[in-house]
Amino acid sequence: MGRSYIVEEAVEGYLTKQCEQAGPVTGLLIGQSSTQREFVVTATRTPQRKESAAAAGNSLDKDWVTEHARQVSRMLPGGLSVLGVFIVADTDAKDTVTTLRQLVFAVENLISSERLWNPADDDVTDSVVLHVNPKTRKIFCRTFDVKDSKSVAKPADWKYQSGVCSSWITVSCCLSMDLLVPLPDNRTDTEDMDTCLKEGLKVWAHQLEGGVCLIDGKKLADDSELAGGQKRNVRQTYTAQLLITPEERRSTDVVQRCGGSVSVRGAIHSRAYLHSNKPKAKLAEKLLKRDMISTVATRAQILLEELLTSQEDKHQREQFCLPHRVFCPVKGSGPVCVCDYHFSDEGLSEVTDRLKEMLDIDVAKNDLDTRQETPAEVLERDAAAEPTVETIEVLEPKRNNYIGKTLFQCNAYKHPYNISTTANNHMDLLPPRYNIVSSC
Amino acid sequence: MVLSQVIADSHSSDTSTILRVRGPLEFKCHLDSTDARLMHKVISRTFEMLQSQVKSESCVLSVCDSPVIVWPNRGVYATPEEITPNTLCEDIHQWIQSDKQEAAGKRSAKKKSKKSSAASVINLRLMMEATKTGPLSAPILSRTVQKSHFLSTTLPVDCIVHTTVNETIKDAFERLLEALTHQLCEMEKVTLQHMKGTTLLVPEPLHFLLPEPKGLVTVVYPAGVPDSQLETQRKELHQQLELPDDWPYVRRANAYHFPNEPYKDGYLRNPHLVLTHPTLDNGKVYLVQGIYSYHHYMQDHMDDNGWGCAYRSLQTICSWFQQQGYVERAVPTHKEIQQALADVGDKPGSFVGSRQWIGSIEVQAVLNQLLGVTSKIMFVSQGSELASKGRELTNHFLTEGTPIMIGGGVLAHTILGVAWSETSGQIRYLILDPHYTGAEDSQVIADKGWCGWKGADFWDQTAYYNLCLPQRPKII
Repeated sequence: MGRSYIVEEAVEGYLTKQCEQAGPVTGLLIGQSSTQREFVVTATRTPQRKESAAAAGNSLDKDWVTEHARQVSRMLPGGLSVLGVFIVADTDAKDTVTTLRQLVFAVENLISSERLWNPADDDVTDSVVLHVNPKTRKIFCRTFDVKDSKSVAKPADWKYQSGVCSSWITVSCCLSMDLLVPLPDNRTDTEDMDTCLKEGLKVWAHQLEGGVCLIDGKKLADDSELAGGQKRNVRQTYTAQLLITPEERRSTDVVQRCGGSVSVRGAIHSRAYLHSNKPKAKLAEKLLKRDMISTVATRAQILLEELLTSQEDKHQREQFCLPHRVFCPVKGSGPVCVCDYHFSDEGLSEVTDRLKEMLDIDVAKNDLDTRQETPAEVLERDAAAEPTVETIEVLEPKRNNYIGKTLFQCNAYKHPYNISTTANNHMDLLPPRYNIVSSC
Repeated sequence: MVLSQVIADSHSSDTSTILRVRGPLEFKCHLDSTDARLMHKVISRTFEMLQSQVKSESCVLSVCDSPVIVWPNRGVYATPEEITPNTLCEDIHQWIQSDKQEAAGKRSAKKKSKKSSAASVINLRLMMEATKTGPLSAPILSRTVQKSHFLSTTLPVDCIVHTTVNETIKDAFERLLEALTHQLCEMEKVTLQHMKGTTLLVPEPLHFLLPEPKGLVTVVYPAGVPDSQLETQRKELHQQLELPDDWPYVRRANAYHFPNEPYKDGYLRNPHLVLTHPTLDNGKVYLVQGIYSYHHYMQDHMDDNGWGCAYRSLQTICSWFQQQGYVERAVPTHKEIQQALADVGDKPGSFVGSRQWIGSIEVQAVLNQLLGVTSKIMFVSQGSELASKGRELTNHFLTEGTPIMIGGGVLAHTILGVAWSETSGQIRYLILDPHYTGAEDSQVIADKGWCGWKGADFWDQTAYYNLCLPQRPKII
């Protein structure tokens, strides 16, 4: 018996639209896996490359599609992931299967290599490849087990349904964090900061994974079902709380030499969506924790990618704001939203542009949900004082209210769709973000 | 080292509940200077931060093995909702799932647990709530580049309060919070006191059970500093607590072992405690003082059946000295015992690895060689004479309190106590038998008499016996 894919009706319309394009179209399928079936919530075509280099024509640009998947993956809150790829092409489905197979494996490898959370034994490891013939509209759907390098194509059902997500459940929370990691004694470049921060985030992720999760103030048994989902009027949002303890670490080297330190302090809004088919508390906890870890890792990644490409002066002490999270509803998908990260000195049109390019979503600035997080503001402080989490206050988002005149240096160079190929896997599909650098 | 005293009230000997909270607290800071004064400042500030964490609304105490979670700084708010600030501490027991209960198919944890005669302990875990009500400010990444030092460890917080009968969780948890902040204060003092340059010792709390009415007392010692270097601190403590100056109470090995906590090494402790002691006319019972572990045939994957009984008795004696804190040395193996005898010239080198028997003279020699302990030897020319040794044996248990090894005929045993009537001369011996080959089952051991009271007819009446009576060092 193969997998079953329950697909939002809107996706059918979207795929039909792609059939009307000249030339083949590739793209990603996005949704949620569960043990019994998969839910496809939305689909998005691969963005156009500006340069028509050798990769044009009929051959699939594997690297480009994979990079698109990586960027899209960052824009998906908990519970949503890239389920597979589609291709709309006037070729024989069987001819493209091998290429598509390579594609889903490459996508899985790239996305999982960036993950800081540990996969669970009960995770579904199937990815779907969908081939649509634009003339006949015939659908060819197969799955591959991406954890098995020898896996063969298995048949799968593809069924459209309306209101797939209409009763989906949202679990969310606001998580505060206070991370401090040392930098090695002799290497304090941005790359070293990247490595150290990743190590620190792994330890932090491990703490979260071991944390006790309360849903609506109660510790629920793993198997208890979250109510709501079947009926329209039943409440569909839950608030989670997370209780953590540090791991006991008693090595003899309590004090070590270092070349400095990096800290990440502040709070993030974390969210996960659950299908409405009797989801269990254990699933909610798993998906929410993964989102917590991913959203922090993504923001740190975005910031570090910026720092690596920019040429800022290294001062002794610097502070950078991590971008804050902005949500965007997916039309016709009930409560489900995608997200993006926004630096406070970028215009919101940057966000709407990215949403259009990456997820092919048309949204007005006013429809974006920017209320879940407040942008960070850096306050001037004397060198000796260490800020505690409590003192980073929520200030009114008055953009120009900077304390200290020369505190901020904004490097604002904006190239539309700057695609730098300095590193093969770090193709910037998007305008580089602003650097907010403060030096004291 | 600083002392904190748990207020032991008159109810402490009743079945009152002890609340014990443990939990690592992360201690991390960036020492950007090696100037001692500035380092102290940074460390003090970090402790301040921990203090405010513990006093904040994010501080959470969760009851182990139960769904009960308490926020002590939010008006002692608790979940599940049946628990209110006015709930009695003793009622929390109902929510705790004991080991014996099945995990499957259990929704609510409300089951009555058995009440034992010892004070019961409710274990709590110290946690922090990482979630808050938003929206809050997005994170800021700060980078400091400077050749310096980084301090990173976890503090092993371990606090107790004795609750009184009918005490509500509101009152008890408030006291627990006070104990927590107090302990952090002491940890700060110990940390700063023992800082040398950039070497820092982690402050480690230990609980000691002192004679009534003092009860359980918590002391913070610097980790890694051996007992031998903490003598001044112990002298001070003994003075403050009015403890005798020749019996150790606050050496690390004396740390209180909480009930229901299995010993990590798997040996049974004091199996004689479950026995009913004999009542003789005008007689009294004199027992070994302190804690020993039961060593016997076949343990440690060592098949010494038929020849190792004296070795096992010696091991039991060594375990006593270790657990009272007189020595830090682990209980020696058969080989180590044999090697010690070869080292002092008592036996040839070929003795090591053999299955040859030893007697009380060898036991005395090994105790001296490996533990620095002297012993007296008592000799009886026939077993029947042992019945007349009541006075000597009771004196031994009164002044030394150590287990006695007795060898004679073809057997060796350990004497853990004596019941003796001065007027009638009746005598009984509490014997721990090293010939037992079974598992560490205290029920079986008591029922089958492997640890039990024996009469004078237990001894071979015609064989001669040597007894090794270890003398305890008169130190603290």
